[in-house]
Amino acid sequence: MIYILKILLVMILSPVAGCLLKGLDRKITARLQHREGPPILQPFYDFLKLISKENIAVSKYQNIFVLIYFMFAAASLLMMFFQMDLLMIICVFTISNVALITAGMSTGSPYSKVGSEREIISMLCYEPVLVFFIVEMYMLTGSFRISSIDHLDKPLIFYMPLAFLSMLYIMLIKFKKSPFDLSSSHHAHQELVKGIMTEFSGPALAVIELTHWYEAIFLLGLMFIFAKQYTLLGLAIAAFTYIFAIIIDNISARLTWQWMLKFTWTVVIELTIVNLLGIYFLNLKAL
Amino acid sequence: MGANISLLIAVPIIFSLLFLIKTDKKYYKVLSILLCSVSAVLSIALAISGEQHLTISGNLFDLSESLIFIFEATIVIYLFYSSIKNRKWFALFLTVIMALLSIYTSFFTPKAENAILNIDKLSIVMVLIINIVGTLIVMFSIEYMPHYEQHNNIKSRQKFYYFMICIFLSAMNGLVLSDSLLWIYFFWEVTTVCSFVLISYNNNGAAINSGFRALVINLAGGICFLTGILLFKNTMHIVTLSQIIDARAAGPLFMLPVALLCIAGFTKSAQLPFQSWLLGAMVAPTPVSALLHSSTMVKAGVYLIVKLSPAYAKTPLGEAIAIYGGLTFLICSAIAITQRNAKRVLAYSTISNLGLIISSAGIGSSIAVSAAIMLIIFHSVSKALLFLCTGQIEQVIGSRDIEDMSGLIRRAPVITILAAFGMLSMILPPFGVLITKWVSIEASASNPFVTIFLILGSAFTSAFWIKWLGTILSYPVNDLRPKLPVNFTTYFPLGILGLIILGTSLMITPIFNKFVSPEVIELLKSRNQLSGSFGKVYSYLGSFNVTVIFLIIIAMFIIYLFIKKLILSPDIKKVYLCGENNTKNNADLKFREGGGALQDPVVSNLYFNNILSEKGLTIAGFAASLAIIAFMVTGGII
Amino acid sequence: MANILSNVMSKSPWIVHVNCNSCNGCDIELLACLTPIYDAERLGVLNVGTPKQADIMVVTGSVNHKNINMLKNIYEQMPSPKAVVAIGACASTGGVFHNCYNVIGGVDEVVPVDVYVPGCCPRPEAILDGIMQAADILEKKRLDNKG
Repeated sequence: MIYILKILLVMILSPVAGCLLKGLDRKITARLQHREGPPILQPFYDFLKLISKENIAVSKYQNIFVLIYFMFAAASLLMMFFQMDLLMIICVFTISNVALITAGMSTGSPYSKVGSEREIISMLCYEPVLVFFIVEMYMLTGSFRISSIDHLDKPLIFYMPLAFLSMLYIMLIKFKKSPFDLSSSHHAHQELVKGIMTEFSGPALAVIELTHWYEAIFLLGLMFIFAKQYTLLGLAIAAFTYIFAIIIDNISARLTWQWMLKFTWTVVIELTIVNLLGIYFLNLKAL
Repeated sequence: MGANISLLIAVPIIFSLLFLIKTDKKYYKVLSILLCSVSAVLSIALAISGEQHLTISGNLFDLSESLIFIFEATIVIYLFYSSIKNRKWFALFLTVIMALLSIYTSFFTPKAENAILNIDKLSIVMVLIINIVGTLIVMFSIEYMPHYEQHNNIKSRQKFYYFMICIFLSAMNGLVLSDSLLWIYFFWEVTTVCSFVLISYNNNGAAINSGFRALVINLAGGICFLTGILLFKNTMHIVTLSQIIDARAAGPLFMLPVALLCIAGFTKSAQLPFQSWLLGAMVAPTPVSALLHSSTMVKAGVYLIVKLSPAYAKTPLGEAIAIYGGLTFLICSAIAITQRNAKRVLAYSTISNLGLIISSAGIGSSIAVSAAIMLIIFHSVSKALLFLCTGQIEQVIGSRDIEDMSGLIRRAPVITILAAFGMLSMILPPFGVLITKWVSIEASASNPFVTIFLILGSAFTSAFWIKWLGTILSYPVNDLRPKLPVNFTTYFPLGILGLIILGTSLMITPIFNKFVSPEVIELLKSRNQLSGSFGKVYSYLGSFNVTVIFLIIIAMFIIYLFIKKLILSPDIKKVYLCGENNTKNNADLKFREGGGALQDPVVSNLYFNNILSEKGLTIAGFAASLAIIAFMVTGGII
Repeated sequence: MANILSNVMSKSPWIVHVNCNSCNGCDIELLACLTPIYDAERLGVLNVGTPKQADIMVVTGSVNHKNINMLKNIYEQMPSPKAVVAIGACASTGGVFHNCYNVIGGVDEVVPVDVYVPGCCPRPEAILDGIMQAADILEKKRLDNKG
């Protein structure tokens, strides 16, 4: 019974929090650009408007992928709240990413196809860093389950500073913010029209927006894990990540995928590997 | 049940002779359906009857030995003849060495008293794969081969094709059922010859060269194998695989022949630096690629390495094997991204997955070896489906290039959906391949160097599958009804393979508990730290709850039924091309360019050719892998 | 609570900008609406690039034989309820060019226009006013469709 209550709470509160976070994002961006900005509830108004639009598509079956994208993103968020095996959660999260990429390609639009290609490259960049982070967590706690972190005395960030920096970097890629908003740009930063989302509209786009809210909470949850035992510190780290992403979004221009690929694979992944080898050779076991 | 086992070897031979009688498609159809049913029945009966340990002695043994000797001699004479006729002097040289070693083994070493057949769970699993998946592939060839020969202007050799394939099936059965090293070696060599002959099927320059390349590399592996056997026999009186597993690090001289056997496995499984033969083998007809070069023959190499895992577990040799496998996994996944030829992508993917199996076997813990065995099972089925789909796609569009498959879902929806399902089964949960990748990463996490290779390799793996998956689906399609004639012998194997993938993924924990776990316990003689129950695979490291994913899929279906109207009947609009799509219907995605002419928008995939180059990566791979192999061999001596 | 759920369309009008034949004067003024001084985003206005996600089509420039199909295509790719705002004299009637040999006329020759913003070129405040009026018309259309 408590399970069902917990599931409902997570399912309902997370998109609300995600919506407010997106609204805050637009407000802070606007203030940084010395203008008023939309009300904080604006993403919610957008969502309602999209639901009331006519349901159109270019391919009869493209919305099936949107459904898969939504279900598995919500599911991986739920699994994270239930503190299951983190590697499994990432595998499930990959299903939703693959669904989004395939959704883009299935429309046959050349813009979505280029957007999907770039999203594949983004996946090539962030996936290794994410899995390295999880393996380092295992090396410190002896288990891949999130619940095992509670046994540690010091927060994870203490042992994994380099991994934290790498994760900050790939959060920029995952949130699709400049300098890495290559595959589908938000809010009128256009390249490739709308990238993956070009041919999605109406209720399908509303579901995609909803999934973005779930995803935002999921990604911040990943950062929260860095200081899971101390809730306030964890929330501070998550908040810091989000503000960091917003600020970098506003001060940098979009970079090319070649730059992103080169930089990630030569610098960021190396940082994470150094952290991993450091933990291994120094025989750090936080238990 | 000795009868069952001898039937497993004899029945394909009988069928091979039956196939020689006539050349008639209807006749072949009947024969292939019969072969499929009989083999399935035999292999399932073997699975039900369970593990056995048989000794063949006395008259039956003498008879088998003589037959083996006659066949060996035939093989050597045929190889001599073939090498001389095609002026392949290196192949001739290797054949001579092999002949000399075989003569030495037969006449100058103590004769064996008997032969042992050890049927454990791994053998049962391999028998099921060979006889079910293999015979389905034979069924697929019925429709495929006439088109193939017509397309490539070959004089009809189908009788020969079916003959060799059935001989091959019989040899594979014998290989996984035997325990005596010399019998394993004999079946090993038969599969080498079958591969050589089938790769050269087209009888043109490229095919013959590829065939000889495969022959040379596999002969070299065979020579390593025979040398290892001789070392075992003469210095340690070990003649069976079980004795190797039981002996286990009985002195410094023990590791060298184990290393030699492993090298033989590496050549058979086309690992770096021996991978060129598998890539060359892609000139062969696609059913050959599906059967020999992804599902069964290359699995013989990893089967041997997995069976030997207790011999090198937790030793430097094991660590070297783990790193070696990880290296192949990483480099071949990276090269696969750069390939445009669909069969080469599949070949590189096969090599890298075999590297993953070898790496898991090398780590040596119970969790890792479980991962290795599970990956053997799941990879065989998925790859067979993918190869067969690629073969059928090739016949539909006349090309193997991935770019030509763009929008295939419009032209051939059924094949596209099957191929898409196959690709999804390689990268996503809840399908078996990803679950075993999860187990491998968790098992390797204590050895950081192997983990680094595995993680980087998995990233590359997803990239090229998703790219290909997107390409074949990339068209705004509104009608999924079949557009091409659907004939039974082509689509039945594809459908059954798809169902097998689905079934094995649903039943992952029963399969694990019934076949994989007992095998690991028997091999490593210790408790299996990986457990599975009710769709949850777990250990002290972590747990993967496959049931949850199936529940989500069911929930999705239920939601879909409710909002079916919303999802499946949108108003169809044209694709956005800046307003320039001025053609009357959406069926042609054309736009009118500045001069007024109609153009197709063409977006091709990224192949990263200026970042990753096949040549550069191969050279790096050669250097690193040769260094590791040198370490394996010399480390054994030292 | 009722306040949040009402006026759904008018709180989030997304525009797609189509330049038919314009001298770019009206386009520059339109884009100026999105700059911090006039800040259309505080009203929820977003310039999306694809008609499939847009509610309001903002057209500048007159219609001629070359762009008539383009305009029709983009209008058809918009989901309903949709509105059209014609910015500037050229979009409204053809402006100075209305008698030229290749000019068909204003945008209303091709698509039904909801709001005309006259001027050559109209000020950003006028353009924003036009867009907000179109947003209110959208809300009316939505309620008409529902009821």
